[in-house]
Amino acid sequence: MGNVMKRFRIISVVLVAVLIAFIFVVLHMNKNIGEDISSDMAYDKYTINFLDVFDTSTDITGFAASQNDFNKEANLIKEQLTYYNNLYDIYNDYDGLNNIKTINDNAGIQAVEVGPEIIDLLEFGKDMYDLTDGNVNIAMGSVLRIWHEYREYGIANPSNASLPELAELEAAKEHTDINKVIIDKEAMTVYLEDADMSLDVGSIAKGYAVQQVLEYCRNEGMNNILFSVGGNIAGLGGRVDGTNFKIAIQNPNLESADPYIERVEIEDGQCVVSSGDYQRYYEVDGKRYCHIINPDTLYPPETFAGVSILTDDSAKADALSTALFNMTLEEGQKFIESLDNVEAMWVYHDGTVAYSKHFKDYVID
Amino acid sequence: MKKNDIILIICILVVAGLVIAMTRFTNQTKNGDEAVAVVTIDGIEYARYPLDKDVTETIEISDNNYNVISIHDGQCEISDASCPDQICVYHNPIENNGQTIVCLPNRLVVTIENGSDNDIDGATY
Repeated sequence: MGNVMKRFRIISVVLVAVLIAFIFVVLHMNKNIGEDISSDMAYDKYTINFLDVFDTSTDITGFAASQNDFNKEANLIKEQLTYYNNLYDIYNDYDGLNNIKTINDNAGIQAVEVGPEIIDLLEFGKDMYDLTDGNVNIAMGSVLRIWHEYREYGIANPSNASLPELAELEAAKEHTDINKVIIDKEAMTVYLEDADMSLDVGSIAKGYAVQQVLEYCRNEGMNNILFSVGGNIAGLGGRVDGTNFKIAIQNPNLESADPYIERVEIEDGQCVVSSGDYQRYYEVDGKRYCHIINPDTLYPPETFAGVSILTDDSAKADALSTALFNMTLEEGQKFIESLDNVEAMWVYHDGTVAYSKHFKDYVID
Repeated sequence: MKKNDIILIICILVVAGLVIAMTRFTNQTKNGDEAVAVVTIDGIEYARYPLDKDVTETIEISDNNYNVISIHDGQCEISDASCPDQICVYHNPIENNGQTIVCLPNRLVVTIENGSDNDIDGATY
């Protein structure tokens, strides 16, 4: 009998100990859950994706107390981006709206009345033409249109893909004089003097729109928003916890095991934009021809696989990344060093990377 | 200590164990803790694929277009597609929270939810 009692006592001591341990575990777990919930309730991170603007994919990331609160901000942003998309469209008409296509359709015919958003964009385009020594030319529509047609056909019919003849391109180049884009700020009109010329704002419009919408959001009192419109990335504020947004830069070699070539931190108002030959291109006889066309050679530049710009104005970043893609490394480095607050990274096809002086200050190890 | 005490303690343990198991389980379904690849077409959710279940499925889009989604080794990729540019097919497999693969021609987007956090807020492309 005594033995049995003794065994009972040992078992009960063990069981009581286990019970106490359990209570601790349960209490601890609940505490953790409670903490999670309280921090989640303060501000959660949300991202919305849509494919409706600038013929690309857009991600808006923000922090809000609820999905509803975030959606309100995101919808305002989407509305704004759609507005600029329609204004800067060169392929589609919109009811009651004079856009870039309207200006092109009236080339050599008449001046077109437009809003300040178009006047400002085109003036910015002229500034970028001067700044980049003609490497960014919004009046190159006649040349880009030829490449666009060959590319679209080549993508749809890969076995019949071909290149435009140099003679055809050179004939089109005769109609790319940016001085024939007549902006009348008093009358708020734009007139293309040459009937065979057309505007293509693809190298600046996305970045310009992102910058405008970012400033709109700042004026509306919004904060902690990350814009990514086709990889044109710009940050309003940082993360809600006070740390900086962290951005990954796509590896131009899409088949590499490492999807990102570099990771950078951006401060309030800073932006990162990449230009490359890996997203929009077509192949002729196994060789890749990208969508960026060098204004001098009239063919796609082949020096780099990708170029990225880090600066404090998304519009400028968009233009400069295109400009650098058209330059040699030496020209580009000299050019970047002549500018304030602009950093750049060049990626060659073999994966070799070159940086401007202070780019690495932003790189996360 | 009586035999009944021991029975009581065992009962408490069993109940405590059940409660823990249940809170874990409900938490998972409520917060959706498991990593999933969410597929949307034209912005409308089409399907969710848990990353821990290997699967290959053809997603039919209108006009005979398609994307083949493949989940393996905890990652998601598009292994084949009808789109002319094939950008979605060349895209690296994704597994981290918020990563996306976009097929613009087919208006299809794959987004990872509840994946591991790679501490990145956005990526250029």
